[in-house]
Amino acid sequence: MLTLSCPSCGANVNFQSKSSVFAVCSFCKSSLVRQDLNLDEIGKIADLQDDLTPFQIGTTGMYNKEKFEIIGRLKVGYKDGFWNEWFTTFGDERVAWLAEAQGFLAFCYPYEATDLPEVKTLKIGQAVDLKEKGIYEIDDIRVVKCLFSEGELPFDAVQGRQSTSVDLTGFELEMATIEYAAKETRTFIGHYLEFDDFQFKNLRPIDGW
Amino acid sequence: MAGNADIPDVPNPPVTKPRVKMFACPNCGGSITLRYPGASMSVVCENCQSIIDVNDENYKILTKFFKQAKPFTPLIPLGQRGSLKGKTWEVIGFMVRSDVSSKYFWSEYLLLNPYYGYRWLVEDKGHWNFITTIKKKPESNFRVAGIGGIGEVLTLDVKRYRIFNSGRTQVDYVIGEFYWRVVIGSQTNTCDYIDPPLMLSCEKDESEVVWSTGEYISHKEIKKAFKLDKLPNPSGTAATEPPRAKKSWEKMGMLWALFLALITCAQIWLSGTSPYEVACDYRGIYLQNGKQNDQTTPVFTLQKEMSNVQITVHAPVSNSWFYISGELVNNTTGATYPFERTVEYYYGTDSDGAWTEGSSDSTLTISAVPGGKYYLNLDTESGGYATNNKDQYNLRVIRGVPLYDNYFWFAFFLSILPLMSWTAMRNEEVSRWANSDYNPYVSSSE
Repeated sequence: MLTLSCPSCGANVNFQSKSSVFAVCSFCKSSLVRQDLNLDEIGKIADLQDDLTPFQIGTTGMYNKEKFEIIGRLKVGYKDGFWNEWFTTFGDERVAWLAEAQGFLAFCYPYEATDLPEVKTLKIGQAVDLKEKGIYEIDDIRVVKCLFSEGELPFDAVQGRQSTSVDLTGFELEMATIEYAAKETRTFIGHYLEFDDFQFKNLRPIDGW
Repeated sequence: MAGNADIPDVPNPPVTKPRVKMFACPNCGGSITLRYPGASMSVVCENCQSIIDVNDENYKILTKFFKQAKPFTPLIPLGQRGSLKGKTWEVIGFMVRSDVSSKYFWSEYLLLNPYYGYRWLVEDKGHWNFITTIKKKPESNFRVAGIGGIGEVLTLDVKRYRIFNSGRTQVDYVIGEFYWRVVIGSQTNTCDYIDPPLMLSCEKDESEVVWSTGEYISHKEIKKAFKLDKLPNPSGTAATEPPRAKKSWEKMGMLWALFLALITCAQIWLSGTSPYEVACDYRGIYLQNGKQNDQTTPVFTLQKEMSNVQITVHAPVSNSWFYISGELVNNTTGATYPFERTVEYYYGTDSDGAWTEGSSDSTLTISAVPGGKYYLNLDTESGGYATNNKDQYNLRVIRGVPLYDNYFWFAFFLSILPLMSWTAMRNEEVSRWANSDYNPYVSSSE
């Protein structure tokens, strides 16, 4: 783990994953960009007023008999709702995402997709060839904005960051997400899973439950 | 509090911010309590029934009402928690929906567990179904036609679901809070497929297709789970009502087929191994219109340890009768098996034409006769002859004859209960499908 100090308040800022280049200081909420051992403050993240989620930074779970830990979070919103993307690490160089939307959970890995169709040409129901991963069908295309971020993340997740998020489903419970952002296009492949499948620990307490 | 029994590893004691949020209705100024801010997208004002967008703090009015009357009352009050399928659920929303063309109404309760997400309870005529939205998509097997049009038979997780109803559904009434912007009057195309007690449903609108699975829950279970004083008794047969008669028919039908096969095999085996051996072929003399007593046959042998004996009597009767009474006697033990038989044959002509009655042969069977040496004592009598001559009759003793009577009676009695069970199953299915536009029990010509 890499520990640097916040250029704004001096508090410790931890980087558990080498792929993290962005962090939010847990103390002063400054959004920080890392370049090697250098931290630059690029703004502040406003607190979330209403937030109902069972997860938090530090929640652990199991995937394929391996333990992962949540180290960062991106909350995105679109015109009809929002969802959370929890950035997780397996304690080595491997990272994955836990997507949480209205009680549905998907666990997915970054995937180097090639020859993806242009974002403008996409339609719901369209088939997208993800090569050796199979053919996936587009379920949703949404323009999303970053509402909130915390912990550490592998890109600059400043509030208001815009992208187009495309949800796809494959065979049975296979899923994929393609995120078309200004600078880059990222693809993730994974599965929908049940809450109990993950054997979560250190969940967030919810008032009254 | 309901406790965290079903939620794994939440540190105790929880240090949390109060979850509930209160604000003034932008329409009527009444106080609105939002139970799940950060999860709910819209909430209905209890006072004026306007629907408010709570996605942000602008509290935009989605649908404006000034209603006091509450045309529908939920059977489970909002905010009530209950344990279903091993998890705690809180009722946070209530919707009344209807079929657009038939104006048929039913109720839907939105349930939330912040750890496990959303579920639905659907109540229709006192029958309840527990609904879970799914991400998996079913596969289409084949199509069936009904008065509702062309429907499908779908497969999901090796279960096969048959189209039950399809139509256009609209939202008529809402109270509570919802995870989307609920709109009164909004319509979706819905299809229900059943494999009782399970259901598969599809809801389609302009922007998305949502699949869900449902399972029948007895109203007693709902009553117990949510600690309710009373719930209306269900009426009629619900689409997903557990197929009790079908289950018992499936079991009984299987046993029935098994037993039928068993006794048929036994019968075939018995027939195949029956010796069918003529042990005695006796020709005796009798007096026409008289008696001839105390005839004795030579001693003959009956094979096998135990089997039946068939005795056939033939006499040349013609508008006359022949009577024989006798006993089969064991030459060693003296055990006797008495029998008697009449042979008569008549014929003539009347206004309807020629007629005949009777036969010149007669057969009887004595069951369970031990093997050994036997002879017959015979007395005869006859009448109706035109002459008084002596005549000859024939009597045969046959050892080991295959018999079918027992087999058929056994099969008949064995079939009574299964037939009743099948009838009950059919009645159950007919009444289940009576509400379907794809009723397989109505022929297309009707």
